Amino acid sequence: MKKLFAALAAAAAIGMTASYAQAQDYPTRNITVVVPFAAGGPTDTVTRLVAEAMSKDLGQQVIVENVGGAGGTLGAKQVADAENDGYTLLLHHIGMATSDTLYRNLPYKTLEAFEYVGLVTEVPMTLLGRKDLEPNDLKGLIEYAKANKDKITVANAGIGAASHLCGMLFMSSIETPLVTVPYKGTGPAMTDLLGGQVDIMCDQTTNTTKQIQGGTVKAYAVTSPARLNVLPDLPTVAESGLPNMQVAIWHGIYAPKGTDAKITERLSKSLQVALKDPNVIARFAELGTVPSPEADATPAALKAKLESEIARWKPVIDAAGQYAD
Amino acid sequence: MDLINNLQLGFATATTLTNLFFCLIGVLLGTLIGVLPGIGATATIAMLLPITFQIGDPVSSLIMLAGIYYGAQYGGSTTAILINMPGESSSAVTAIDGYQMAKRGRAGAALAIAAIGSFFAGTVSTFLVALLAPPLTVIALKFGPPEYFSLMVVGLVSSIALAHGSIVKALAMVVFGLLLGLVGTDIYTGTPRFNLGIREYSDGLNFVALAVGLFGIAEILRNLENESTREVMVKKVTNLFPTREDWKRMTPPVLRGTVLGSALGVLPGGGAILASFASYTLEKRVAKDASEFGKGAIEGVAGPESANNAAAQTSFIPLLTLGIPANPVMALMIGAMIIQGIVPGPNVATEQPALFWGIIASMWIGNLMLVVLNLPLIGLWVKLLTVPYYVLFPAIMTFCAIGVYSVNNNAYDLYAVAFFGLIGYVLVKLRCEPAPLLLGFVLGPLLEENLRRAMIISRGDPSVFVTRPISAVLLAAALAVLVVVLLPSVKKKREEVFVEES
Amino acid sequence: MKPFTIDRTNGLAGALFVLVGLFFGAQALNLPIGTAFRMGPGYFPLVLSGLLILLGGFIIGSAVNTQSEEIGSFPLRGMVLILGAPILFGIFVRGLGFIPSIFITAFVASFASRKMTVPLAAIIAVALTVFAALVFLYGLELPFRPVGPWLGVR
Repeated sequence: MKKLFAALAAAAAIGMTASYAQAQDYPTRNITVVVPFAAGGPTDTVTRLVAEAMSKDLGQQVIVENVGGAGGTLGAKQVADAENDGYTLLLHHIGMATSDTLYRNLPYKTLEAFEYVGLVTEVPMTLLGRKDLEPNDLKGLIEYAKANKDKITVANAGIGAASHLCGMLFMSSIETPLVTVPYKGTGPAMTDLLGGQVDIMCDQTTNTTKQIQGGTVKAYAVTSPARLNVLPDLPTVAESGLPNMQVAIWHGIYAPKGTDAKITERLSKSLQVALKDPNVIARFAELGTVPSPEADATPAALKAKLESEIARWKPVIDAAGQYAD
Repeated sequence: MDLINNLQLGFATATTLTNLFFCLIGVLLGTLIGVLPGIGATATIAMLLPITFQIGDPVSSLIMLAGIYYGAQYGGSTTAILINMPGESSSAVTAIDGYQMAKRGRAGAALAIAAIGSFFAGTVSTFLVALLAPPLTVIALKFGPPEYFSLMVVGLVSSIALAHGSIVKALAMVVFGLLLGLVGTDIYTGTPRFNLGIREYSDGLNFVALAVGLFGIAEILRNLENESTREVMVKKVTNLFPTREDWKRMTPPVLRGTVLGSALGVLPGGGAILASFASYTLEKRVAKDASEFGKGAIEGVAGPESANNAAAQTSFIPLLTLGIPANPVMALMIGAMIIQGIVPGPNVATEQPALFWGIIASMWIGNLMLVVLNLPLIGLWVKLLTVPYYVLFPAIMTFCAIGVYSVNNNAYDLYAVAFFGLIGYVLVKLRCEPAPLLLGFVLGPLLEENLRRAMIISRGDPSVFVTRPISAVLLAAALAVLVVVLLPSVKKKREEVFVEES
Repeated sequence: MKPFTIDRTNGLAGALFVLVGLFFGAQALNLPIGTAFRMGPGYFPLVLSGLLILLGGFIIGSAVNTQSEEIGSFPLRGMVLILGAPILFGIFVRGLGFIPSIFITAFVASFASRKMTVPLAAIIAVALTVFAALVFLYGLELPFRPVGPWLGVR
């Protein structure tokens, strides 16, 4: 009996050192980052840029796998179920927090199924109107919206999309419900905004910067705390008197629950290096965003962000009363 | 003149040795992967996308990507013609008559016609892109939800002409397709519909899975019925190249297809798909002998292939001038551009003229390479038909599985392949044409979305469909098509009844 | 009086459409219908289901008192194996990995033909597996696992 116990203990010890050694040598093969959206979208783009820079630091290829569907929850579910050896990661945006409320029967527990690596970037949103919409600034727009609340239409790219979240937040911050017109994806929604078929849309700078610079839409405000370098003339929501509309589409990297802390630390370090890569900084700038500061590219910061954002969006989504399950 | 200067700049950019090389590599790779059965343009481009990231220069990388696009498109048509496996919605139409031509031993001619028609359409529409990009964009923006709805109605009504059997059955198949297209999540309320509680289907059924199942697998099963009598798809392959007679017959459809495709391709969302269906309908209407359609009519290959290539070309217009992707392939292009440091938008043409015109010029060069490359390869592709069944079928099934799976890494898409293979086979047995179903499937969500969107924007007033001029014209056209399509068949039916009674 | 005859293909086709219409219609009834201004998720499908049932009924009706060729036999063995091949790939690709799954898919699909022998199927399957692995795994570096966790490979 004693012998058996000793053997078990020894086996356990070997197992532990093996896993310790594993964490020490990590990574020894290619790492897969799951993007829960189709190839070519803004999140996919962010991931590919960061993955390339992280590959350089880790000495192993970081491969991007697109697992789109059901507002990002299919990809998240897949990573939640993956082996926690540090070779399968998830890069997800704000939807990680909002899907916790939007989907009432998520097949995983958002706060319990993952370990955290760090924040990648926070993409600001811009509030747009069609080119010939009457008001010229955000204050005017708010008054106009309140006076014409049955006439104004707000476009979005579908339930759970950045533009849907931002639109909900706009309506809740001005306490006026407007007529929502959903589209399938940002492309068609933007087309109809350009064509003047709908009045307002709020979307990530990734999708709107060029349109604003080209003057094909009217921009009212940016939802970041400070003005953007690429759009220096665009005031912030706080400047225009809507401080609680400050919002960003933040992106974070996650690992399955139980991944060794040494591994997530290693990944976090590598993420911090990647976010200082000149190519990443330059490309992000063109998209109207900046890499997260080093202090945010940490497990603790991402965990805090996820928790606070779930709490922030729950009342907004519940008030809109629209769910995606 | 501006246009000439611009094109000069474009060709100067596109014809550097490096860029020509990357264009060639792109076309070659695109064709090679796209020609594998069940792997359509979207899957091919998604697979090859990372390779283009390795190239440092954004112009070269995008030129290569455009090359991949044309190669993949042509590769998709090749499998549609040879083994009835359209990898993309636009080549579904090519499969109808192209595959019948192949069965009659005229695969070579069908492939050559597809390549030549595509090249001609590509040439014309490249110049259209260069010349008319800005004004065409203005027209595209005039299309709001009511116009799209009416356009979809035109498409659906004309789809009846696709069938060469009973019109009622074709209608039922369209409606069946519309319903299948609604599977997934209602975008207005987020309510899941008809997905049987399977979350993997909550974004709808995968198009490639449906097309591969309905056309390709159904065809394999049909071939397994009388295995003892036939060993290979086609025993004799007659003349590889189009005859003088073929040339004469294909010219007008190519011209009409080019015009139709160029016009519809500009419209974001569904335009390119409608183009090939519309061209087929048109050809069947104007043909002297419509009964040949569905049995290997050259016009049924030449028209739609030209139309879909022209549309593929002009679908770059909204991408380059507005930064808006017209289809999933264009969305991939945007992603690639951003990674290369170019954010597509209204300013690309003025900020990066070399890139903008370089891409336009490389479109034409890519098309040229495609023809040069593929005409000699036709003999090789046609040889595929002489591969015995028992080798061909496992190969088809394997590549189908990889192709369908690689798009979303979703195993349920593979289960859908099997299910639609069964449905497709049963429908063939019951003498129902699958093509109208496929069109319904593609248009179903668009039809519903735009109907509901139009009603929301008009505050529930249905008169928008007739008070907005473009929409009214389209609806009138739909009505006209319906009358033209129904009248002769009603007459025929009467005659049949009379014959039976007398 | 004429004996009752029916065109079996058209009759069955009509019946199939009616069934599909009922299947979608029943589910659509459980969805909010909404109004014409704000149509619910059930509005459009319900209209379509009704239309499909009507069309199916019409097809059945016109099939009565006519006759046509037989439907013909079904190649059951081929159906099971051909339709099973993609399903097996879906089941195995994550667990067993890409290479074994390709082999199984190709091997199973081979036997759809009655003329297949085990050695020949093995040769075809190996050749396809090698080709697919070279092109997709090593050539294009698609993010598939060559060999999966079920085989003890981490």
